[in-house]
Amino acid sequence: MSDRDGAVPAADLDPAVVARIRELRTLYPLARSAVLPALWAVQDRIGYLPAWSEEVVGRELGLLPADVAAVASFYSMYFGRPVGRHVIQVCQNVSCALRGADDLLDHLRGWLGVDGEGESPDGAFSLEGTVECLGACGGGPMMQVDRYSYESLTPERAEAILTEIRETNPEGPVGG
Amino acid sequence: MADTAPASELVTLEVDGRSVEVAPGSLVWDACERAGVFVPVYCAHKKLEPVAVCRMCLVEVQGMPKLQPACATRVSPGMVVRTATEQVRKFRDSNLEFLLLNHPLDCPVCDRGGECDLQDFTQRYGPGQSRQSITEKVHFNKAVPLSDKIILDQERCILCWRCVRYYEEITGEREIVLQERGVHTLVDTFEHQPLRSEFQGNLPEICPVGALTHAKYRFRARPWDLRRTASICSHCSYGCSVFVDAREDQVARYASSDNPDVDDSWLCDRGRYSFPELNRKDRVLSPEAATAGGRQVVSYQDALGRAAGQLLRVGSDNGGEAIGVIGSDLMTNEEAFLLQWLARDIIGTPHLGHRLLPAPEISPLDFELGIAEIEECDQVVVLGPLPEQLAPVLTLRLFKAGTKRARKILRVEAPFTVAAIRKQVIGEGRVGVVAAESDREAALKLRTALTGAGRRCEVLTLMERVNSRGCQDLGLLPGWLPGYRRAPSPGMELPDILEAAIAGRIKALLVVNPGPDLEADPRLEAALKGAEVTVVVAAFPGVASRNATVLLPGRTIVEKAGTVTNAEGRVQRVRTAVEPKFAFPSDLKILGDLARAMGGELGAQPLAGPVYDLLARAVPAYRGAQAGLRPRWEATA
Ligand code: SF4
Ligand code: SF4
Ligand code: FES
Repeated sequence: MSDRDGAVPAADLDPAVVARIRELRTLYPLARSAVLPALWAVQDRIGYLPAWSEEVVGRELGLLPADVAAVASFYSMYFGRPVGRHVIQVCQNVSCALRGADDLLDHLRGWLGVDGEGESPDGAFSLEGTVECLGACGGGPMMQVDRYSYESLTPERAEAILTEIRETNPEGPVGG
Repeated sequence: MADTAPASELVTLEVDGRSVEVAPGSLVWDACERAGVFVPVYCAHKKLEPVAVCRMCLVEVQGMPKLQPACATRVSPGMVVRTATEQVRKFRDSNLEFLLLNHPLDCPVCDRGGECDLQDFTQRYGPGQSRQSITEKVHFNKAVPLSDKIILDQERCILCWRCVRYYEEITGEREIVLQERGVHTLVDTFEHQPLRSEFQGNLPEICPVGALTHAKYRFRARPWDLRRTASICSHCSYGCSVFVDAREDQVARYASSDNPDVDDSWLCDRGRYSFPELNRKDRVLSPEAATAGGRQVVSYQDALGRAAGQLLRVGSDNGGEAIGVIGSDLMTNEEAFLLQWLARDIIGTPHLGHRLLPAPEISPLDFELGIAEIEECDQVVVLGPLPEQLAPVLTLRLFKAGTKRARKILRVEAPFTVAAIRKQVIGEGRVGVVAAESDREAALKLRTALTGAGRRCEVLTLMERVNSRGCQDLGLLPGWLPGYRRAPSPGMELPDILEAAIAGRIKALLVVNPGPDLEADPRLEAALKGAEVTVVVAAFPGVASRNATVLLPGRTIVEKAGTVTNAEGRVQRVRTAVEPKFAFPSDLKILGDLARAMGGELGAQPLAGPVYDLLARAVPAYRGAQAGLRPRWEATA
């Protein structure tokens, strides 16, 4: 997993992020409760979570890096490698699958020009490969783009949503 | 399950039509066990807190709309539990079908095959066939080394969390976590760093399937190839219970066995993986004697006759004091008792010993505190890192006392001055002092100071080897007779015996079961060369065996039967797990035969049982203790 390092070296972490993690630590009775916001603080700044950032968060919160890594890897909203400007996740668990999530994903792969998973050629999108439940089972099939969910999708509706995002938010994530 | 509550406070409930009584706060799982009803579990473990993640144990509880996890549901009065219903049966069947969905089913090459809960429960409750038409399973890495001791097969994992919780609750080291989510969830370490714990060997045992395996046991045996013998770990003075699993004449593994008073079902890696030493191929296999024509293999009777004759001759020429008798703390209590009797009463020498470190002062106060009692102390003072280095499993007991029992554990640094330590001992309650034997004086001083101040304070010292305490209890020491009676005229300590042999003042040496420290001591060779007569009983070839005038083959601890006494004074049985590769008598019988050949009469068969009776007559505290008890020593304070 050392391929996770390299892109952004540990030394480049903004001291303000470390200060923010320390502040977060004081807001909760248990240090473990601060893991999620602390990971956000890092990812918001550098776009993903290099392995060293889990050590930094662990150190600052008094937890083992393994504990932080377990949390970070559990959630699909944290990225273990650099990603495109907008991240698309299409849920593939039971409810969505029954309502055509596989077809939707295949369609988006073709439309974006992505083979399996990864960045679209224009760098605007990153499509995640396999995504577990995103908590919108009532509205399947669904996708999450950055921090927003879009439910009851058809291929056409999904295309329209993504086209709009590309045009209105060329710089980066929506909903940050 | 705490069943010490008075009968009136017990909770009565019904399990499968049977009425059972259990302590309040017990789990439905405990109640089922009490009723003799087996409930299959994966995530539940007697030594871990419930998490109820595997759902294998679901049972019907009357009045509850859905099935309930027996492993996490507390009993209540009048509860009606049913485990043999159609609903439970169907659920178990489906749960197993799910667990097997992506399971590699490589039982034929899995170390766990034959003792795997996934295999067993599928046989017993599961579907014969999967209804899924999946042809390609989700694959993960196989044979991932987590360290040089543990190998993980990520495909075989059923995500029961036991390994993660073991590291959280039992050792506190948290080296393993579950990563990712859903079908991709994996057991792993952070960034594939190797495990560093000293207690990794417990992982394959708590894993209910073949996901975590011992590197040293990989592809070594099937459970049905093994002969299991309950015995004691031979590696240190803590005395953890083990199962010695032998395949033919080799020890294939040590497995833990739960003795709540000592090991609490955990072993350290040092002890668990110490068995290859016992499988060494180079052994002393037959009696030998130095003759005019050089060293020769001789018959047992011939060797015995020569040994007795040579020792008697030195005795009559120079007096018994010209003979030194050396045992070791690898001997059983029976052997140690017999050896000191042979030395004192038959050979007539006060010069005997078993350890290079002199023991001028010893007392039952050195081990007044029992291992499990550590949990009952409000404060436990640990003198430096040595105790835990001597007996690693002690660390887990201290961790348990500190976490589950919320006791205060005070690890203090040398120098261990009473004044400095006393300042840190707070409150009123009971204090335990845990020390290495070499720090016994400091520990006892602290005890005196604290008891003087009205506190209850007891000491536990840790020693070097499996029977260091027993050899001391039974007087295999120059200054001490069996049962902590001072010898009227103390003989020389072991180092002095060696020096005296080098100087020619000791003319004969009887060496039995020489331990590694003695073998490594440069004085041993010179001493053996300096003595005219050297009778050696040894299992492995070495300095002692090479320099023997008469050599008799000895046994390793897994080839012996008898008792050993652990650091807290508990007398425990070791049993013959492996038959030696030769047909000569046991070490105990050798000593008995030697005594007889020298004109002594033991008055009992030289077998473990009868000799134990003899020694219990000499040391009344030992009476009846061979079943795993701690002798009650008269207070000698
Ligand atoms: S490796 Fe074994 S103990 Fe650990 S979660 Fe998997 S099945 Fe359970
Ligand atoms: S603590 Fe001692 S007795 Fe227990 S397993 Fe380790 S070496 Fe063996
Ligand atoms: S054993 Fe009860 S849920 Fe796992």
